[in-house]
Amino acid sequence: MSHALALIFGTLALVAGVPAQAQMTHEHKAAETCTDLALACAASVTPTFAADGTLWIVARTSDRVFVAKSADRGKSFSEPVAVTPEPMPLDTGPDSRPKIVVDRKGRVVVAFAVRDKKFKGRVFVSRSSDKGKSFSPPDPITASDESQRFETLTLDADGRVFAAWIDKRNRAAARETGPEKGEAPKGAALAFAWSGDHGATFSEARIAQDQTCECCRIAVAFAGPGRPVVVFRNIFEGSVRDHAIVTFADRETPGPVHRVSTDDWAIESCPHHGPSLAVAKNGTYHVAWFTKGRARQGLFYARSSDAGATFSDPLPIGRPETAPGRPSLLSVGGTAYLAWKEFDGAVTSITVMTSHDDGAHWSTPRAIATTSEDSDHPILVGDGRRAYLSWQAREDGYRLLPLGDAS
Amino acid sequence: MRRFRLAAVLLAALCFSAGLAMAGPLEPFGRGTWKSILKAHAGRPLVVHFWGLSCAPCRKEMPRWGEILARKPNAPIVMINADLVPNLVEDAEKFLEQSGLAGAENWIFEDRFVERLRYEVDPQWQGEIPLTLLIAADGRRTTIEGAAPASAVLDWLDVQAAAEK
Repeated sequence: MSHALALIFGTLALVAGVPAQAQMTHEHKAAETCTDLALACAASVTPTFAADGTLWIVARTSDRVFVAKSADRGKSFSEPVAVTPEPMPLDTGPDSRPKIVVDRKGRVVVAFAVRDKKFKGRVFVSRSSDKGKSFSPPDPITASDESQRFETLTLDADGRVFAAWIDKRNRAAARETGPEKGEAPKGAALAFAWSGDHGATFSEARIAQDQTCECCRIAVAFAGPGRPVVVFRNIFEGSVRDHAIVTFADRETPGPVHRVSTDDWAIESCPHHGPSLAVAKNGTYHVAWFTKGRARQGLFYARSSDAGATFSDPLPIGRPETAPGRPSLLSVGGTAYLAWKEFDGAVTSITVMTSHDDGAHWSTPRAIATTSEDSDHPILVGDGRRAYLSWQAREDGYRLLPLGDAS
Repeated sequence: MRRFRLAAVLLAALCFSAGLAMAGPLEPFGRGTWKSILKAHAGRPLVVHFWGLSCAPCRKEMPRWGEILARKPNAPIVMINADLVPNLVEDAEKFLEQSGLAGAENWIFEDRFVERLRYEVDPQWQGEIPLTLLIAADGRRTTIEGAAPASAVLDWLDVQAAAEK
């Protein structure tokens, strides 16, 4: 938005008597004032298909979360329904987005993160038992207030909801009692909880892995009923922030943590650039991630045919000169899909490639969508039969593009 | 002392005419700002540090940057707030003040198309902070990812100053 427009909006806000606090002091804040519950105002859009083929989306503006659905594969959407009755200080980082799951009976659970002025996060959950007509007032997912972010929701085969997120409760506890009292230990932890009542309540949060990177999204899929798989940026010895994977033995038992790749990214910084994971029907794990390690830099893909114990050699993805990133993986039927984002200084493109042999070979990458202004991350979503690219772009709006087998 | 003041006034006038911020409040860093910063400092060594309030390693190291500036008040240091979770200007300014950096040349990302801003700085940069660029008089760049050791920055500044003489 131009300065002139920002000024006009600022003036309008004054005239309308909006409290001074609501007026933003700078240009990008003014641009964020598109807070209408409209798809056009959404900074991020997260899709999911229900069993009946309805496309559901949860979207956020700078301070509101809303849900809408489409019966015609994204061509038209229902009137947005607010999940946040009032504006909330949402986590607006690049790897933060609201999540949504919809069960066979059309019961909806939504999760999203807010943060305070010190960037301490809190995950909230809201649910709808009337097919998205109304949502319950958002409740914290856990009693702890020691910062939670990068929440995920995944639906198990029996309708239970698995929630996992990055949590700092251990870090807060260590600060009080640890050997280096007063000194905060590094990173955060991978926490999880289950809901057996469609999101009304969640089990007490447990920690699956301590000392994970605190500022990257995590990726979750199921290896089988009751057996979530989570990929996350871990903190290995020497502050090395490489990716790790854990497969649950059962609902309450996280299995051993394996390393996806030894990239050797020893860094004290916040990449805000998390991984993607898909588990094929035959059990193959597909993982994609971003790194700037000493061993390799860029976007990579690897697969595992032994439930994450070992992975193939990392395959470089995209053209290094246009900074490939923000991967999204999906497995539908016998096909694996990988999408990512590239930017050449003028145009952002979403590139997709496919594999019909479990990720051993991939098609020639093909750019299938572009935009020339800012945009959301690409997300691949399946309806059980087909794969689609879901992508929100400021100028071009929301797109749901069906992917051919040879995309 | 007087000579210094005169130099400061001249420098301020020069920066003003170039449309650039010197000391004081955060200036918006938008499309093209990177080029203008490089132009304003062309032919001289330059230290650029990217930081953000939501980044714990950044907050931890900022007072060290304040110390560097205290030791070398005339050092060509440019601080750019490039937080991936956009910061409020007031909060960022308060923190710069607390860190002894209110007198640095301070900027803040002001364009929601952050990929474009980052591309202008370095096409490979995907936003990780803290990030420091040491740009020599001849334009040669050294990149420090993560927290920058104060000694490395000070040593580099000394080497550049010696080379200028």
